[in-house]
Amino acid sequence: MAATESKKQIGIRGEDLACAELERQGMQVLERNWRCRLGEIDIVAAETGPTGLTLVFCEVKCRSGLGFGHPLEAITYEKMRTLRQLAAVWMREHRRKASSIRLDAIGVVLVTGQEPSVTHVRAVG
Amino acid sequence: MASACAWSVALVGLEGRIVEVEADIGAGLPRTVLVGLPDSALYQARDRCKAAVSNSGQEWPISLLTINLSPATLPKAGSHYDIAIVAAILAAQRVFPAEELRRTVLLGELGLDGRLRPVRGILPATLAAQQAGFTRVIVPLRQAGEAELVDGIEVFGIGSVTQLVAFLRGLPMPVVEPIDVVGEPAGKYANRRLDLADVVGQVEAKWACEVAAAGRHHMLFHGPPGVGKTMLAERVPGMLPDLDVHDALEVSAVHSLAGFNLADQLITRPPYSDPHHSASVASLVGGGQRMAKPGAISCAHKGVLFLDDSTEAQSIRFSCQPGCQFEACGSSRANRCLFTRVAAQYQCVAEAHPPRSLCNSVKGPRSKVS
Repeated sequence: MAATESKKQIGIRGEDLACAELERQGMQVLERNWRCRLGEIDIVAAETGPTGLTLVFCEVKCRSGLGFGHPLEAITYEKMRTLRQLAAVWMREHRRKASSIRLDAIGVVLVTGQEPSVTHVRAVG
Repeated sequence: MASACAWSVALVGLEGRIVEVEADIGAGLPRTVLVGLPDSALYQARDRCKAAVSNSGQEWPISLLTINLSPATLPKAGSHYDIAIVAAILAAQRVFPAEELRRTVLLGELGLDGRLRPVRGILPATLAAQQAGFTRVIVPLRQAGEAELVDGIEVFGIGSVTQLVAFLRGLPMPVVEPIDVVGEPAGKYANRRLDLADVVGQVEAKWACEVAAAGRHHMLFHGPPGVGKTMLAERVPGMLPDLDVHDALEVSAVHSLAGFNLADQLITRPPYSDPHHSASVASLVGGGQRMAKPGAISCAHKGVLFLDDSTEAQSIRFSCQPGCQFEACGSSRANRCLFTRVAAQYQCVAEAHPPRSLCNSVKGPRSKVS
């Protein structure tokens, strides 16, 4: 990672890694960085399980160190509440139906010279 | 995902009840939840423990951490659960084997630097642990002497979280500067060693004191200021015999709970308590929101309570009469619904001046004291 990497680039890299993690788990990424008036959904993914299709709305937080705490600690109750509202808007606009929806959180830590660490927490909202 | 438990003691008056501290590290956003009727001092344990763990080179779990204090219906108060909470969390993370915490009670408050701070009530809490069949108690280093007063339980004094981890892993313990106990030394009166033989004259009064001490009778001194009533009263406990082991433990436990520093020994002499006549009812009978705080009367348990200028004090008359009659004064405020047994069995020595206006002479003040 270059020393001059900006905050935005860190965020994009974190989301790339998060998508890779979701795909590794067998989910299909439907959309990234979907925006509307209320805010932004980082990742929308679909997971097909025994109970049918589950839409996964994912909040990603990426940090380049642990000096300010783990990225997951920065995902607050308010953020998850917004994500829940956004999920409803997204489903209405895309006319998608699913047997269930789930809100996930992914924390990515990018430390120079180390393997990135991706922590995926399911069903947090 | 992972869970573990540790044990501590909730003090309800002088009676200790074993509290199981469970820690569960589950899936979810990083958050710490403390359940099981904690009071506000205990609720803040989350933040103290978090800082103490991070500053001790250990990791606070980055996920949903639930701490439960069981039985959940018993209100819990005070800061002495800190070390048990941390032990349960570290055991859940497998920092040391969770089996190490079995049959062990942990007591102590944590500082943000991870050092263990002394708490009041170590003696009654250790007694409760021993009676409940626990074989080991871990207490703040400087209070190990106080806990060792209880027979039949292994006592370990530790200074910090790092020492606790090393101890439970069976590794050599790092050196830590322990935090000293603050608090007035108990048995301050007994060390003065006042003797009735030092009093010159007052033959009749001395004889009366001897009779009262021999029969454990209550007394009323009556006389003008400066005649030596306080001097005589102070010498009454000096004539009483040493406390037996059971009484000594009980008296020491009351003083431990009241926040006195026992200085690693039992109180073996009958205590002496002389509250000022302006003392409030609460300071006499004791109180405390949830954790009992014994008052001046309880501190005279098995000893002598001297009420100077007793006729002056509304609160003394109000609070001591039932005490004299029933030989037990319960601190009813200490727990809202659980009646607390901070009992006091004492010999009451009261003192009264004749009134300034001598119209009704002796009858005046004495009619106020029953």
